[in-house]
Amino acid sequence: MLGYILKRIFQLIPALLLVSVASFSIIYFAPGDPAETLMTGPDGNVNPKSVEEFRTKMGLDKPLHIQYLIWLNNVVHGNFGYSYRTEKPVFDHIKTSFGATFKLAVVSLIISLIISIPLGIISAIKHNSGLDISCMVGASLGVSMPNFWLGLLLMLLFGIYLDWLPVAGYGTGGDLEHIILPALTLGTGSAAVTARLMRSSMLEVLGQDYILTARAKGVPEWMVIGKHALKNALIPFVTMVGLNFGYLLNGSVVVETIFGWPGIGRLIVDSINMRDYMMVQGCMVFVALLFVTVNLVVDISYRYLDPRIRYEKA
Amino acid sequence: MKIKIRFGIFISILLLVLIPSVSAHLYGDANEDTYINMQDVTRLERIVLEYDPTTTPADANQDDNVNMQDVTLIESIILEQVPFPGGHLNAAMIFGPSSTLDPANGWNGWYVRKAGIYETLFKYDDKMKLTPELATGYTQENDTEWLIHLREDVVFHDGSPFNADAVVYSFARVMNESNSRSSEYDHIASITIEDEHTVRITTAEPYAPTIASLTNPLVSIVSPDADNLDTHPVGTGPFMYDSYEQEVSLSVVRNEKYWGGGVRLEGATLSYISAGETRALTLESKDNDIARGLPFPQVSTIESNPGLNVMSKETMRLYFIFVNTGKAPLDDIRVRQAINYAIDRDVIVDAALEGVGGVPAAGVFPSIFPWTNVELTGYTHSKDTALSLLADAGITDIDSDGMLEYNGEDFHLTLMTYTTRAAMQPSAEVIETQLEDIGIDVTVELLGSSAIKEAMTNGDYDMAFYSYGVAPTGDPDYFLTHHFDSTAGYKENGWIRYSNPAVDSLLADSRAAMDQDVRKEYYDQVQDIIVEECPEMFIFHENELVGYNTGVMGYAIYPNEITFLTRDMYIGR
Repeated sequence: MLGYILKRIFQLIPALLLVSVASFSIIYFAPGDPAETLMTGPDGNVNPKSVEEFRTKMGLDKPLHIQYLIWLNNVVHGNFGYSYRTEKPVFDHIKTSFGATFKLAVVSLIISLIISIPLGIISAIKHNSGLDISCMVGASLGVSMPNFWLGLLLMLLFGIYLDWLPVAGYGTGGDLEHIILPALTLGTGSAAVTARLMRSSMLEVLGQDYILTARAKGVPEWMVIGKHALKNALIPFVTMVGLNFGYLLNGSVVVETIFGWPGIGRLIVDSINMRDYMMVQGCMVFVALLFVTVNLVVDISYRYLDPRIRYEKA
Repeated sequence: MKIKIRFGIFISILLLVLIPSVSAHLYGDANEDTYINMQDVTRLERIVLEYDPTTTPADANQDDNVNMQDVTLIESIILEQVPFPGGHLNAAMIFGPSSTLDPANGWNGWYVRKAGIYETLFKYDDKMKLTPELATGYTQENDTEWLIHLREDVVFHDGSPFNADAVVYSFARVMNESNSRSSEYDHIASITIEDEHTVRITTAEPYAPTIASLTNPLVSIVSPDADNLDTHPVGTGPFMYDSYEQEVSLSVVRNEKYWGGGVRLEGATLSYISAGETRALTLESKDNDIARGLPFPQVSTIESNPGLNVMSKETMRLYFIFVNTGKAPLDDIRVRQAINYAIDRDVIVDAALEGVGGVPAAGVFPSIFPWTNVELTGYTHSKDTALSLLADAGITDIDSDGMLEYNGEDFHLTLMTYTTRAAMQPSAEVIETQLEDIGIDVTVELLGSSAIKEAMTNGDYDMAFYSYGVAPTGDPDYFLTHHFDSTAGYKENGWIRYSNPAVDSLLADSRAAMDQDVRKEYYDQVQDIIVEECPEMFIFHENELVGYNTGVMGYAIYPNEITFLTRDMYIGR
């Protein structure tokens, strides 16, 4: 087990290197000069001399591969560099933004689970009934509805017509009142996917012989569903939830932008707009790291859910 | 299904408990006309005598009794003996500070100034007139030396006095070489203390816009005694720093000792929301009282809402076309004029800007700017004039296919533009159809702005549709010299390849002239010549669109977008 984990961690290194090279070159080839963008004020005024000074100060006058190697060397030494925009350590910004994203991700996940597990189970039990069909049509709608649109609709309903919640914002440190709408937007989107998965995997399990056996033994139906079926149906579900959580942790650019949530998705977009290469680069590597870590955790958790799964020795 | 419904009810109840309903009243405004004045005293006396029915705001001291104590309180408010009950204002802003609140760092000065924390020696008022703020005036001793006289009645929020020391200290922070924007103050050779309330500025060369450069929020005057200007700004403005949540919101409270008189608002919170639709929605939900930068389609929604309104004002941002005057046939002045006549600016404003986003441009500067040559009329749409000018230049429809020919081939032009500003692409497309209407084949090319700049530098373009702020420091020199002075070596002039010795010498003279009226005359002539010769075509001046709750009183849009919160604003309802 330990060998397997070590092997997996070792495999992460080339993946992360690739991500960093790709993001470094993509943003480099994107039009727009960071020195000029950052030295252009809200009024559109640029002083060419400040631009030159900035370029030299930040090392932007060096060739691309040299810039990359300098950056890589710093990262190996645990220094993610300094933001061009704020001249503060990139890692400090990531830490603050990730806090906001994490809070949103956890609440979204809870909402998504509260919606998807019961919906999936009910649809599976009442297979092919009107209830099942309407649940699944609802889920398809949820998958196809763009987040920004759902977000705006929720803002209109809860923020304006009912006037129960603030339309947007972060409040003081991301309080409950401000977190509900963005979390609901993200949560219903991912609930739609997981509810469908819950339903199909529940259906599959319900068709197994051991369920038939259990029923034949006279085990009460609630116990058949709750104990025998649900436990086994949860395995693929956990994978999906884990992946979903990975996505949620990476911050939803759209939801964070429309709700004015200062998370990592918004940080990335703002940094791209300002051509803050250092920040974009730091965020990309951080996000990639997060994603592979979540995947790893999901893989390992299989073992505990299903003892039949064994990992080969490294 | 049942579970889902219960969950909904649970959330709803939870929320109803959490959120108290707020209704603001201007306590003391007995007759509810949104002002507190002697009429309210009269009305209050009538209420006390039971001649008139009572109103909620009549209970000025909010003790649930309308009596003579309320009358006394209102009189004290009018006499400014007690603070004005102006309420707390919430505003949705587009951009906010990055991570520090230090005005000398990057562009943060803009944002802390908007919050009313900092002030500068001079400022532009809401009519773009240069006026003293922390200064009382200036004396120009000779071409390079200026004495700035300072106000003597000002203290910083931390109680320390505002004086020449603080001014020199604040400028030194900006002019220090480690500051990435220090070169913008290269024109100042030194700034020294003359006496407690006078400083002497010496410029390297005669530089007429010196006083104008003192309005930049970069050189906001900060308290030399402040511990940490990054996190706790200390200025002289009508509002004092309260709290800041990075990239989320900045809160301020009233400065009770403001030199400019009683501040009416008790406090304010500026929230930074980058999505335009969201800003508009927060206004509709009453979470915010003011929303800046309304998207065009939201304007009519907000206007149709009885409690809300939209204020619109021309800004200093110009949308215009760079023309490659080095490339035939655009090197022919008649061809350029013809294109200018073919463009119908009213249609662009109506179609691409939904009638609200801008006003047609006659010249470089908008009508709100004191340096504008008001006699300019620009180009009035006329297909006939355009066609006859083109015919003079030898561009006619030889083969009668409805399209014009130049040198035996279809007359084709490309119009480059970029999409980061929402109005660019729709406007460019309207221009395309208008030019095709007179027989010019136009292609709109959407590129990144750096790609366009490269093409312009190489001369590899016909026309490029762009947007610039025309007078960042409020002085007309910046735009005119950068674009039309062929001796100054700026990149914009290189792009249009324009050179007119008369314009060059007028611009040189106006920079050295210290008499503002003389300068105005020179600049008027320059504006006239460039409209006539059209090395650039001016399309429209952008409007700032601000949605506001009609209860907000005393708010004005400042065209240079630098001032936002002022001592005059309050919540009147």
